[in-house]
This record gives sequence, structure tokens and C-alpha cells, in this order.
Amino acid sequence: MYRVLDLTDAKGMLCSRLLAGMGAEVIRVERPGGDLSGETAGGPSCLYLNSGKRGITLNLESVRGREVFGRLVKTADVLVESFQPGYLDSLGIGYPALCEVSPPLVMASITGFGQDGPYRDYSSADIVAGALGGWLYVSGESETPPLKPSGDQAYYSASLFAAVGIMLALWSRHATGRGQHIDISLQECVAASLDHVLVRYFYGGAVASRQGSLHWNNAFRVFPCADGYILLTLLWQWETLVEWLDSEGMAEDLTGAKWRDREEQLEHLDHIIKVLERWTKTRRVGELVEKGQLMRFPWAEVASVAGFVDSPQLKERGFFVEVREPRSGKTCKFPGAPVKFSRSPWRVGGYPPEAGEDNIRIYQGELGLSGKEIERLVREGVI
Amino acid sequence: MTDESILHNIRILDFTWVLAGPYATRLLADFGAEVIKVQPLLPEADDGFGRGYYNTWNRNKLGITLDLDKPEGVAVARRLAGISDAVVESFTPRVMANWGLDYESLREVKPDIIMLSMSTMGATGLWRDYAGFGPTVQAFSGMTYLTSFPGRPPLGPGFSYADHVAGLVAALALLGALEYRRETGEGQYLDVSQVEAMASLSGSAVPGCTAGGGGLEPVGNSSSEAAPHGVYRCKGDDRWCAIAVFDDSQWRGFKRALGNPAWAGDGRFATLAGRLENADELDRLVGEWTREHTAGEVMALLQREGVAAGVVQDARDLANDPQLKGRGFFIELDYPELGRTTSDATPIRLSRTPARYRRAAPLLGQDNGYVYRKLLGMSEDELAGLEGRGVI
Repeated sequence: MYRVLDLTDAKGMLCSRLLAGMGAEVIRVERPGGDLSGETAGGPSCLYLNSGKRGITLNLESVRGREVFGRLVKTADVLVESFQPGYLDSLGIGYPALCEVSPPLVMASITGFGQDGPYRDYSSADIVAGALGGWLYVSGESETPPLKPSGDQAYYSASLFAAVGIMLALWSRHATGRGQHIDISLQECVAASLDHVLVRYFYGGAVASRQGSLHWNNAFRVFPCADGYILLTLLWQWETLVEWLDSEGMAEDLTGAKWRDREEQLEHLDHIIKVLERWTKTRRVGELVEKGQLMRFPWAEVASVAGFVDSPQLKERGFFVEVREPRSGKTCKFPGAPVKFSRSPWRVGGYPPEAGEDNIRIYQGELGLSGKEIERLVREGVI
Repeated sequence: MTDESILHNIRILDFTWVLAGPYATRLLADFGAEVIKVQPLLPEADDGFGRGYYNTWNRNKLGITLDLDKPEGVAVARRLAGISDAVVESFTPRVMANWGLDYESLREVKPDIIMLSMSTMGATGLWRDYAGFGPTVQAFSGMTYLTSFPGRPPLGPGFSYADHVAGLVAALALLGALEYRRETGEGQYLDVSQVEAMASLSGSAVPGCTAGGGGLEPVGNSSSEAAPHGVYRCKGDDRWCAIAVFDDSQWRGFKRALGNPAWAGDGRFATLAGRLENADELDRLVGEWTREHTAGEVMALLQREGVAAGVVQDARDLANDPQLKGRGFFIELDYPELGRTTSDATPIRLSRTPARYRRAAPLLGQDNGYVYRKLLGMSEDELAGLEGRGVI
């Protein structure tokens, strides 16, 4: 089992959560008396993001703390951190130093802009990475400001890239015995997840802009129903769609032959949208999605939070997992496995640890520090 | 050893198309996996954009043609699975089963095969045969609903984010399964539901899963942890800058960057709690300042004081971004049909064994010779026969 030291703030918490899901032992290292990442730490999702981890405290800014850290690093396979570039180097525990302590160590650094380049020392945040990486400009309506995707998605995607990088570096280590450093930039992770945006620019000079829920190539759009919202295709299986509307007396003039022409459709898309909207407003989301999917339309319920948590599909597959809060005994739901492994099942993990919850077990039980040493470390504020 | 790509001895048989699946296998091909992309005898897309899109997500892969609607084609696919470490596909669950290429069948030819399916809804469940693309996945998983402004209809992201997420999850799972096979000698079946992969990133929205109650409704660009936090209009046409101010020290930096205007000294803004409570008023005042400056000036003035700020960049800005360019984020490859082409590099930067960009996407059947002759050891006669019967 791989051991992962997690020194991240919100930018990287998901990375070690993913590794824990695949069976790694993750030790979250926090600053004594508080969270490693200070006020902006967790955000509301940190409970889930830190589930299934062990927790210790350690002051890396003290000499004693760094001595203990060196011993801990020797027991670890992976270290994930998200400090500003140069911070760990300034403490003498950057990658070059740690590589000497433990050559097989795989270290991943998740930062706003990466370890080099003109913006290296700039500050970032999820919304800032989303802006500089290109997500925001193309999201929203033409008359609204650019819009951030819901949740800290820049942090999550950076964590996914970092986790893939860590698995690659571990695989490489089987052959070489050596670890390496992985440099992850939030901005690059966003710019690497832009679907059509860069492709259209590099292959035709088009600068994509915002157009609400209308898909960039007019394939999809959100419509209101009597009881919620539905995602419909606009031109997919056109004749089947028109026949369906016609059978309900809602096709209006779309039955005309001229509407079969793709150019005609695109030129008068507004009209098609209006006709479809008059239809969807009289119908319920569930019935349209069910019937549409039977007819191979890739339609979807625009599910609210309650909608997807309670969806029969996710329920049947047991996606959400109940986790018990140890103090209150209350249970809550965490998202489960992002992928179902048939032989090595994903580990969801329990409620996240309190800061320092595993100090004694790890410092005394595993690193072999004496009770006296531990008392001193506590007294001096090292752990 | 260190000269070799990490995955140089891993072969992946790739039946995927569009974005999610190809993105997964591109991540691994960039690090040396031998990805054999199996394509029908007709090209995936023919227009300029379609070819660019295909080329972008399929670099570093081999391409073969194979008609799986012919029994002979299926037999060839089974032989290919027999010499592969992993098989990846993104159809609805019934498709591979109908061909006789489901996991149980492939285990007969390769007992330790790793098979990864990445359908919209997963391989089981009432809705398993639902079809979908990125927007479908985003709608079912709550992403579309939550990505909007308060009180407005759902918008969702303006790109298929879910495809990238599913691709990343799939690549991660494949690497995890390779580790497991190395330890135990056993392969396994990996069932990715793209909706679940996307929903696994919605932790902050699920009630009870959150310390603060979670976001059941869309919040636009605002945050419960920072104010000002948003996107502010700047000088020029459709130019904007994102700004995020979390703690008091950042707030002091923010005020310095603006030259400590009188309004910023208002006691209501002295604490984060106060700034959050008066966020609308704060946004209006910040917007009055940003409107007087270009987005680049706003970013530079704020970053100089340690405040997180960034221009809302469009595609042209990205292609000219000094940070992205400075780190070599855009790479060039020659594609026979299109000449020199540009695409994004992998953001996974490994110090010792970096990604390599060896070749553009394969033309239709470009690697038939290598794969069928060299890897499967087919004779010229056999190859000619398959070609003649329209199997490859």
C-alpha cells in the first residue's frame, strides 16, 4: 500500500482523496492548532474531500518540525503540496532536498501557475484560474458577465491531473527506482479542458463566445417544462422529432419540407426554439426524457441537487454513500466511487479526521518517538 | 531505462470516439502507451473543424480500420484484445455485448485483460442504455442546474467539461488497474458512468456533505468564503477581470491596489463577515473601479499587492498568454491533411520522464500494416483477403 503525505489546501485535497479511493494510505499534515491552509481552507466540500484520510499536525516552520518531517518523508511514497512556488525551498524542504532524503519519493506540486514562467509568483483562486484558463469567457449568456462553473472545478480538475501524474510517476518508479517531481498549474489544467474552444481557434481562427445554454454548434439547448428543465437536442433525428411533435399537434409549420434543409434550420433556429418551447412547457421532464431516450435522443433532465441525489439510476447503483459523523452520530451522504472496479473496489472512507487525531499513532507508534519527545513537541508547538 | 517513455510496454485497444474516451487514451499515449485506435471504415468527421477536433484528441495514437459489423472483424478484434493490456470503449452497454466483445468474452482470449467501459450511465441500472454526450452528462449530474445566476434558468458551462472529467477518471482508473494487475496478476472490469464521474465532483453541493449547508441553488460567481469574489467589467468591449479576496490581509492589499479610496474604509467592509454580508454593494463599488481600467491593468495592479486576479481570457488571449507560452503549453505537430497543427500540451509535467509528442492523429487505417502484419503476424494473403472483403 502506498503512503501519501497530503500538505495541500483546497487546490489539492481531492488529489489525495482519489488516491485514497484506490487504496493508498493518506496522511493529512496540518499546522498545529488549525488547518494547514488557513482561513480559506476547506470550503464547504472539505468534509468529503478529506474523508478516509488520517490526520496529524506538524509545524514545518520549526527546525524540530522539519527534522520530524524528514523522518516522515522516508516512510512515504508520495507527497502532494500546494504552497506558493519556492515556499518549501525556503524552508529547505523543496523537491531537491527531499529527493536527497528519499530518492524514490514522488512529489506533486499543485499551484496557480506552475513552478516557473512570468506568473509563477502570482496569486490564484478557483475563479481566477477559470478566468485565465478560458472556462469563464465561454460560459454565461451574451448579456451577462462570464460565469464560473459550479464548485471549485479548477481545483478538482488540477487534482485529477495530479493524481494521474502521480500514478504515472509510480509506474515509472517500478522500472527506475527513482521518484520525480510533478508540476501542476491550475491555469494549464483549465486550458487543457476546453473542449471546442482552442480547437476552433487553432483550426479556423474562431473566438468562441457565450451563448447561454445553447451548445456552441447548436446541438443542444435547455428548455423549460411544466415541472422543471430539460436538455434537448435541436436538430438530431429531425424528421422523427417533427413527427413526434406533429402527433401531439405541436409541430406548427415545422412539418413543411423546407425545414428539412440544414441551412434553413440554422438560419431560423430561433423559430425552431420557440416551437419546441411551446411544446416542452406543456410537458413533464420525466416523460419527455424517458420517451426521448427510448427513441435514441440524447436528452436529459436538468437535475437539481435533490434530483440527482434521488435519481433512480444513481440509487440503484449505490452511488452516494452514507457516512457517520462520529461526534453527533448523524449521517450524511458523500459521493461514492467515480468508477466501479470489479476486483479492487473504490474506498469511500469515513468521516475526515480532526487535526492531529492520529499524532500519537503515527509519531509514537510508527516513527518510534518516545512519550517524552512527543510531550516536548507538543509543548514547543511543533505538533 | 529513463530514456524510455513510462508506458512504453503498455498496449491499449481503443474503441472510443468523440471526446471523453479519446481524452483518456490521449493522456496515456502522451506518456508512451501504444494506443491502437479502432475505427470504422468511414472517417469520423470530414469538415475542417471535425478533422481538427479529431486530430487534437488523437495525437500519439495508432489508427486501424476494422468493420465490427462483420463476424470476421469481431474475430480480428478478439485477436487484438489477446495482445493488449487494456481495452477501452465508450458505447452504451449493449454495443460491445452485441459484438461479443464484452468483458467475459475478452477474458477468454486474455485472462488478465483490463477492460474499461465509459458509458453515459454506467453498465448497470434502469437507465443503462441512455445515450449522451457531454451536455447530457452535465445535465443529469447537477452541473448544468448549478451553473447559473441566482433566479435564472440553468445555463451550464459553455463547453463539455464532463468529457474531460470522465477522461481523467478513466485514465486514473486504468493506471490503478495496471498497479493492481502488477501486484496480483489479475485484470478487472472498470465501469465508468460519466454521470457519476461528474457527480463525484459535486461534493460541495450535496446536503449534509458540507459544513456550511451546501449550494442547492446556483450562486453565479459569488462565494460563501470570499468577497469581493466575482467577474468585473473592465474598459473595452466585453473585457472582464476575475477577482477573489478571501482574508483580511488580501483585503488590505486590495485597498492598497486601489489607492485606499474612502469607500473601502467603510466599517462594514472591515471584516470578511461584513464584506460577505455587503457583497452586492461591494461588487458595485469594485465594478466602478474596474471599469476605469483595462482587464490587464486590473490584474497587474491587484497581483502586485498579492490579490488573486485574472483576465477573463478568450481563445485568442489564451493562444498569446505569456505564462502558457512561457511554459511551452502549446505544441505543434504535422498532420498530413492539414499541415502544421497546434494543440494544448498535457498539463502533467513530470521532471524525469516528460510527455512526448511524437506524431499527429492517424489517418484512417494509417497503421493497418504495422498492427495487422507486425503485431498480429498476418500474411499478405490474409491481409489482402480482409481488405477485399471490406473488413479492414
